[in-house]
Amino acid sequence: MTQPIIQLQNLTKTYRVPVRPEGLAASVKSLLRPQYTQVTAVQDISFSITPGEIVGLIGPNGAGKTTTLKMLSGLLHPSSGTASVAGHIPWQRHPTYLRSISMVMGNKSQMLWDIPPMDSFRVLAEIYAVPPAEFQRTLDELIDLLEMQDLLTKPVRNLSLGERMKCELVASLLHRPAVLFLDEPTLGLDVSMQLRLRRFLAEYNRRSHVSIILTSHYMADVLALCPRVILIHHGKLLYDGALDGLAHRLSPFKMLRLTLRTETTALPPFPPGVEITETAPSALTLRVPRLDTPAITAHLLQTLPVADLTVEDPPIEAVIDQVYSEGAA
Amino acid sequence: MKPLRLVAAFMKASFQEEAAYRSNFFISITTSVLNLGTGVLGIVVLFGQIQSLQGWDLPSTLTLLGVYLTVSALRSLFISPSLEALSGMDGEIWSGAFDFTIMRPVDVQFMVSLRKWRWFASFDLLLGLGVLLIAVIQLGITISPAQVIAFVLALFSGVVILYAILLIFAGLIFWSPGVLFTWIFDGLFQMARYPLSMYPGWLRLVLTWIVPVGVITTIPAQAITGALSMQNLALSLGLALVLVVLASAFFRHGLKRYASASS
Repeated sequence: MTQPIIQLQNLTKTYRVPVRPEGLAASVKSLLRPQYTQVTAVQDISFSITPGEIVGLIGPNGAGKTTTLKMLSGLLHPSSGTASVAGHIPWQRHPTYLRSISMVMGNKSQMLWDIPPMDSFRVLAEIYAVPPAEFQRTLDELIDLLEMQDLLTKPVRNLSLGERMKCELVASLLHRPAVLFLDEPTLGLDVSMQLRLRRFLAEYNRRSHVSIILTSHYMADVLALCPRVILIHHGKLLYDGALDGLAHRLSPFKMLRLTLRTETTALPPFPPGVEITETAPSALTLRVPRLDTPAITAHLLQTLPVADLTVEDPPIEAVIDQVYSEGAA
Repeated sequence: MKPLRLVAAFMKASFQEEAAYRSNFFISITTSVLNLGTGVLGIVVLFGQIQSLQGWDLPSTLTLLGVYLTVSALRSLFISPSLEALSGMDGEIWSGAFDFTIMRPVDVQFMVSLRKWRWFASFDLLLGLGVLLIAVIQLGITISPAQVIAFVLALFSGVVILYAILLIFAGLIFWSPGVLFTWIFDGLFQMARYPLSMYPGWLRLVLTWIVPVGVITTIPAQAITGALSMQNLALSLGLALVLVVLASAFFRHGLKRYASASS
């Protein structure tokens, strides 16, 4: 088996946050004697990633995704636990390490705002000490893949959000990192721009074998790019594995799709726990408890004129929503 | 040399950024001329009344003003723009863009100190050196090469002291983001345009030892007028060294705190 490029062991991050009760008196009091509380953002997370893998890090807002990425990129010290990325301990921030990683954040820009992207790229090439010939080669390749020749000479502030994200990607890949952290790279982008960025990331990963950890709230990003997902919730790792296994593991329900031979207007009463999610004149979709599925299926076959019946896992969005709002089963 | 190439790249990009806003150029020049005018006028009015002030006459006070303007120009050429990019509402700490800065494979203090250049300030530099030249002519003395070397050393240590103080103020951002701490310093630094000996004893002590803005301008001015002893020059260089080491340690401590506390 290949040596993992990213390895985390029991990584934990606890923040000390000031508590400030409402009201003026409390404000004054907290000015003199601030009170703090401990908040655990990431708790005992362990996983490893092999070179070239694209892994989706998913979870609701505040789950600890960004905190995890920040520890892996060396921006934050963990409270406990260990991590090794590309042979380094990230938070030691060794220059060799920093040269082998990169981060793109959907809500933050690393471009110089008032000048064309090309000039920002040149500064970055100096910072990362990329030799001129290699810089030109990498730049040509990226510009070609992202179809952005015409953007290079416009000031960044005049670019659209999508165009700017293309620039952010080029900026982060100029030094050919081995590991790329993408924190919501498609945030706020329109559907076709999302699609193009996904295609770019897939293609670039195929060519360069860069390892990618991606966080996104768009399941389409994850579906298109990540064969493997890591789900965290309240700072804890809930699931690590193939995307299609997520539903199987985390959802206590199955979806039954029925096609009926005749149109039925009056449906027979269903056993408890069964929920009708869709009805059409000759079709039905039911959500049934996973464990009761065989019994309910048998029951339905006896009571209804069934032409076709399929048993499926619920759609990924529904599973995620359920985990986000209720926690895992 | 990689650091030099990098600084050259920063200089170039800063120039391009500045050139994007043409009107700023005219505003900047107007401010510079006003700054010069009020400075010179104040001194001329003062010495219209008296011949000398605690051993400082008009030409030597003008020399001091020239040094003050030169040091200020160097400050606004790169120290202030670079350090101020961190703080304030559009600063990197507040916006979170500082994450990118500390992710670069370059020393953070180096980056933070030399990243932004305000080229308009080179006009101030010319004005400062101009005032200095006129003052020296007014002094009517011949300046030996030794004095020139002493002046350059004293000016260098003055700029280093100024940088160290500003770095400490900039480092405070890691404890309380969003406040422009350098503004506190500006008020004190204004006092460096007049001779230290003009101020009452307690203030003189503060301006020499606590926030040594007096040393920044007085020592180079004395070097030119020939009133500087070797000991004081050595002291000034020593102070610069100590302060820059302390400031650097303080900044790094803040940076560590940032890495363990920020979210």
